[in-house]
Amino acid sequence: MFDAFIQGLLVILQWHTLAVMLLGIFLGFWVGLLPGLGGSTTLALMLPFIYKMSPVEAFAFLLGMHSVVATTGDITSVLFGIPGEGTTAATVLDGHAMAKKGEAGRALGAVLMSSLMGALIGAFALAISIPIVRPLVLMFGSPELFMVAILGITSISSLSGQEGRSLLRGLIAGLLGLLFATVGEDPQAAMQRFTFGQLYLWSGLDLVPVLVGLFAIPEIVDLARRGKAIAGDVPVGHISGVMEGVKDTFRHFWLTIRCSLIGTWIGILPGLGGAVAQWMAYAHAVQSAKDATDRDRFGKGDVRGVIGPGAANNSKEGGDLIPTIAFGVPGSSSMAILLAAFFMVGLVPGPDMLNKHLVLTFSMVWTLILANIITVAVSLAVLNHLAKLTRVRGSVLIPLILFLAFIGSYTANNNPADLVTFLFFGFLGYLMIQCGWPRAPLVLGFVLGRIVESNFYISTSRYGAAWLHRPLVLLLIGLSILVMVYPFLRFRRGEATGKEAIQ
Amino acid sequence: MKRLLIGLLGLAIFFLNLLPAHGASYYEGKTITLIVGYPPGGGYDRYARLYAKHLPKHIPGNPTIVVQNMPGGGSIIAANHLYAVAKPDGLTFGTFNNALVLAQLTKIEGVRFDLTKFSWLGSLASDAAVLTVRSDLPYKTVEDLRKVKEAVIFGATSVADTTYTVPFFLKEFAGFNFKMVTGYAGSAPIMLAVERKEVDGRAGSYASLKPFIDRGLVRPLIRSRVSSAEIKSLPIDEDLATTPKGKALMAIRTAPTLIYRPYVAPPGTSAEALKILREAFAKASQDKELLAETEKGNLPIDYANAEECLKIIREVLNQPPETIQEITKYLKFGD
Repeated sequence: MFDAFIQGLLVILQWHTLAVMLLGIFLGFWVGLLPGLGGSTTLALMLPFIYKMSPVEAFAFLLGMHSVVATTGDITSVLFGIPGEGTTAATVLDGHAMAKKGEAGRALGAVLMSSLMGALIGAFALAISIPIVRPLVLMFGSPELFMVAILGITSISSLSGQEGRSLLRGLIAGLLGLLFATVGEDPQAAMQRFTFGQLYLWSGLDLVPVLVGLFAIPEIVDLARRGKAIAGDVPVGHISGVMEGVKDTFRHFWLTIRCSLIGTWIGILPGLGGAVAQWMAYAHAVQSAKDATDRDRFGKGDVRGVIGPGAANNSKEGGDLIPTIAFGVPGSSSMAILLAAFFMVGLVPGPDMLNKHLVLTFSMVWTLILANIITVAVSLAVLNHLAKLTRVRGSVLIPLILFLAFIGSYTANNNPADLVTFLFFGFLGYLMIQCGWPRAPLVLGFVLGRIVESNFYISTSRYGAAWLHRPLVLLLIGLSILVMVYPFLRFRRGEATGKEAIQ
Repeated sequence: MKRLLIGLLGLAIFFLNLLPAHGASYYEGKTITLIVGYPPGGGYDRYARLYAKHLPKHIPGNPTIVVQNMPGGGSIIAANHLYAVAKPDGLTFGTFNNALVLAQLTKIEGVRFDLTKFSWLGSLASDAAVLTVRSDLPYKTVEDLRKVKEAVIFGATSVADTTYTVPFFLKEFAGFNFKMVTGYAGSAPIMLAVERKEVDGRAGSYASLKPFIDRGLVRPLIRSRVSSAEIKSLPIDEDLATTPKGKALMAIRTAPTLIYRPYVAPPGTSAEALKILREAFAKASQDKELLAETEKGNLPIDYANAEECLKIIREVLNQPPETIQEITKYLKFGD
């Protein structure tokens, strides 16, 4: 197996393969940067071009593009407060707050370095799990997936404050998110829920306009209100550098590692979707705060709130590939499109990929690693200049950001109705900030809603009540309870009162 | 005087340009929009992009074809758009869910089209449906399935999908002891559930099940009337039905799969454009390069022309009210 590992590197270092990978990286760089133009749509658009390529080239091309999207998407989230991708929304919370404090360079440095580390860990996980991946994924049935989704929901308690009212608001926001997730046709009886007779809502609310609206519009309104640049309140000459951010990633080394592992694990579990990993990593980062005053720094520009999701949304790429390659079950919607690529080059995902085509599988691992190293290196070079954008007058930036936000919401589905969704959630987001309600739990509830409902239904329909005593389920129940009460235990231990929720 | 002559010359040139140029074709220099009722990456989208690539060389004038995705409402949005909004100038056509005929039949809210009035271009493929069970189970033939003691569990995505309706109809109308578990996010998670022994099998499109059958994970036991070479010898679900009503309902459910990848142009498209497009589709479906790519990409081609498509549509829509009531009870429409 070790020589397959080395072989994997050698095959992508050939000129032709390297060239298409660089092309993919170039595409992915811009796709990530621009909000709305999603990684999965671009993957689909790239598919017709791989007909003439060999399997190694095809995947170097596709993965070269896709693996860097989460890296550059973080850049837009930090600089403008608009999620560049559905998977980079969590970086907006602390990342953009840092930009407003004049620490854009530092935030960017942190996000890039943590993205690189996340990608490396994800790739590494993919590599070492190859012998054990099949039994590993087979352990997680629908009951276990349900419990993992519940685990995600319980982390809402970390994203809300400790004081009674904040926690209540967090929970309500989470439930509201779950409610929004029910919009659409339900699979059990094909009944329309909350669609108000609108065809558009049959498939439910799309993640992109919801996220872009929820985060971008309040930022734009805020920018307009302040009438200055994004980093307007900070005295001139104070923009901290990228290197500081890079060093931060190493200062919080174990946090980075843990969040990368969370991202990888969520990626491995099929069907949890891309958006979940970043929020659970963020919640974990919040939980790692030493005490309540430390906790309060999150949401206002704490570099740890940037490192966590930054690492997780990249490590999940490696994790996502695992069920896709080993079983043909996509870990996310982009992976579903990658599956089509498998068939197009004449491969069938499954045990063969881990035996006959091991070299190809390892070449994918190396693509993840190499593509991210190249992107981070290039980005670091231009970052200090990008950070200067936060110095530009708001009146110049606002039309640009607004334009990007609208285009981003529209291009998700080429449907003008998405703009209505975008504006609705923008309004909601703005209200929530003004009234002190946390948005993170709402997003978490929204992305987990379908998974929770479907897996619960399948578990009960298939096993009756017996699924509750499965060993892994019991373990996860215990973990969920722990996650839920941990913030309370901390609070009770008498540290200073932590009042505010993460905005 | 000079100005008058120049003005008249200008006017003459202007009017001469309005006349159709002698010898230039209808589609010269034009761009065609191909509307797909699904998001990028799925089956409908891949067929569309493939044809968008190879059709132009079979259309005189070599126009460019651009694919536009218009997902939503199980492709009803795209169908509505093609019916009422797109101009019938031959520069737009599109593809949508083959099951829309059932949506029209059962008068689903939101349907604003009449499939018989579209200018049909043809269908690129038909789809065989099979019922499969995990290979390590002791069921090797249909008779084994009849004698089971515990219900055979089939995973399904939603009640509107073939993963559900195929075993459901066999349970209702042929008396098999089946149980369906819905809620899986797609056909791939169901295959994972099969491997995990969470469910015993899956029914659905033969094309998507073929890799798993070839790999030995599942064994096909029953098929629908629409068939494919490798599964011809399997018993047909309609033959297993015990009542005429059951047979009829199964037949209605299977009928749209003959026109699995339907392509239409807006109603009232000009006869000239229609002729060009229909010929282009027929020729492209025999184009060697296209067929090489479809082989590689696992996209079977089985072209049916416009008359055949319309015939099937009309047959399905031509049902007495009692049958329509029954169909509405059993067949739901979904994304």
